[in-house]
Amino acid sequence: MVQDAIAVEKLVYTYGGLVAVDHISFQVAEGEILGFLGPNGAGKTTTVKMLTGQLRPKRGKAHVLGMDVARDAGKVRGEIGVCFEQTNLYEQMSALENLELFARLFGISGFDGNALLKRVGLAGREKDRVEGYSKGMKQRLMVARSLVNRPRILFLDEPTAGLDPASAEAIRSVILEERARGATVFLTTHDMMEADKLSNRVAFMNNGKIVALDTPHNLKQQYGKRALKAKVQTQAGELQDREVVLDQPETPDLVQKLFASEKVVTIHSEEATLEDIFIKITGRGLKE
Amino acid sequence: MNPKAVRALVAKDFTLFFRNRFFALVTSLALVVYVALYFVMPGSVDETLEIGLYAPGWSPIAGDIQQQGLEVHVAESEDDLKDGITAHDYVAGIVLPADMAEKLASGQKPRIDLYFASDTPEEAKEAVSSLIRELIYAQTGQPLAVDFSTEVLPGPDMAGKQIPPRDRMRPLFAVLLIVFETYGLATLITEEIEHRTIQALLVTPVSVKDLFAAKGITGITLAFGQGALFMALVGGLNEQPVIVILALLLAALLVTGVGFLIASLAKDMMSVLAWGVLALVILVIPGMGIMFPGVITGWAKVIPSYYVVDTVDRVANYGAGWPDIWQNLLILLAFDVAFLLIGMAALRRRFQ
Repeated sequence: MVQDAIAVEKLVYTYGGLVAVDHISFQVAEGEILGFLGPNGAGKTTTVKMLTGQLRPKRGKAHVLGMDVARDAGKVRGEIGVCFEQTNLYEQMSALENLELFARLFGISGFDGNALLKRVGLAGREKDRVEGYSKGMKQRLMVARSLVNRPRILFLDEPTAGLDPASAEAIRSVILEERARGATVFLTTHDMMEADKLSNRVAFMNNGKIVALDTPHNLKQQYGKRALKAKVQTQAGELQDREVVLDQPETPDLVQKLFASEKVVTIHSEEATLEDIFIKITGRGLKE
Repeated sequence: MNPKAVRALVAKDFTLFFRNRFFALVTSLALVVYVALYFVMPGSVDETLEIGLYAPGWSPIAGDIQQQGLEVHVAESEDDLKDGITAHDYVAGIVLPADMAEKLASGQKPRIDLYFASDTPEEAKEAVSSLIRELIYAQTGQPLAVDFSTEVLPGPDMAGKQIPPRDRMRPLFAVLLIVFETYGLATLITEEIEHRTIQALLVTPVSVKDLFAAKGITGITLAFGQGALFMALVGGLNEQPVIVILALLLAALLVTGVGFLIASLAKDMMSVLAWGVLALVILVIPGMGIMFPGVITGWAKVIPSYYVVDTVDRVANYGAGWPDIWQNLLILLAFDVAFLLIGMAALRRRFQ
């Protein structure tokens, strides 16, 4: 039986009278990538802070690798890696010095910072001060720093936000390599495509509650619809849109009729995005 | 507590401190400048009292009163005497009337005019009064029928043991060097918070206690190191070095507590400077009291640095020992504990 890397039960956190996290429960299996989605203020960051020992839960329980995050926060922190959304590196130090500092804090001997920097595409710049790095390079260094202790669970908060395609792709590759190594990844993101592509399951969070948690495929099956989208040319020469919903009993007839009666210019299939599903479930967009 | 992590954090703090050009420059420059100033300042006390004398018909008297520690300038006229005082050629002027001898002989009180510059110290006025008394006694064989009142101002009794200006400045320089490190420490902490690196540290096995220990060691080492090095270079450790070292160490602890407090209040580098100036001005006041005895009285004792300055001054300059200063050290320790506890409590809230 696969052990849960993260097990959360009725977890609550309040800031004064504001309930930021409201009795959430979920599990993440070892080696799984969980996409944690929700708009700003949904409670994602507070949840991550509780799971990483930065905040003590007000109520409920959270276990990381079988350890209680409130009681064994120090031990938990030794087994996890955290990559923050906002850059928080020592900019007056070099990339290598940054990594070596954190290796010492984790008590790692024989740490090979150069190999890690090579992995995130920063080879050759390891001795440059971070203040001279581009945003993409800093973000790659942030990811490298979160891997210093070969974490069993990796918490990544918007790791590719605002990055150039090459940097974003480099980081996605590292995430998949980490999963292949057996690490569990807790991925907080606004990027639906990224969550869809990388996550085994996704959790939608809204107003402090988890409103949906399943594989992207199941969520699309349950809440979305697949359709054929076509552009047809009328006799007057205008282009008009047509849509045929798939997976219905009448779908074959409707497709046949479309081709028989209209001049089809383009046609493609389309399925619901995670954003569509989120809007359908919560009535609000992810970027609000 | 995780000693390896604390060591790594301290090494990191020192790296960052000396990579900050401002602090690296100011720290080394301040030490060099204060040591240089010390050696440039006079190393001995010139206790010669220069006075002007206008004594028509009494010229020979000038020769009578020339003695060690006294230099008499004979003026041609009363106006000449006044000009000499205004020009600071001498600190006081005495006008002896031409008929003084007759009046003394007939038992009358002659009128003696004394002129002082506006900034003539009280001690010099006293000295001039004594001089006249002595002069009259020498001339008439009987004491002058005038009473001079004597007032002793607050401060250590310096009679017969004048301290050279540079040694007077020593405690102030040491305190300035130590107190300046409130900026360094507060800036290091504020930058950690402002740049959120503290967040990165707190998701490693490093605990808040480790962070306080590391910052405390950094602050104490920076402050104490400079203060102790300065005192060693200027001979401030020649008398009772253990007491002086202990006083400087307690001062460094105080500065660390103040640094924590400033870091808990400041949002950025500018507010560190603003709060730091306030702390610097307050903590330096007792040093001024050593430089200008009598200017600062008992109220300065509410300022914690008073106990550093007073201890260093009394030990290094007057050879005071444990029985004289143990109370100072105890009060200083109490201030240290209070500032460290308040600073850590306030800072812990910011860390979280």
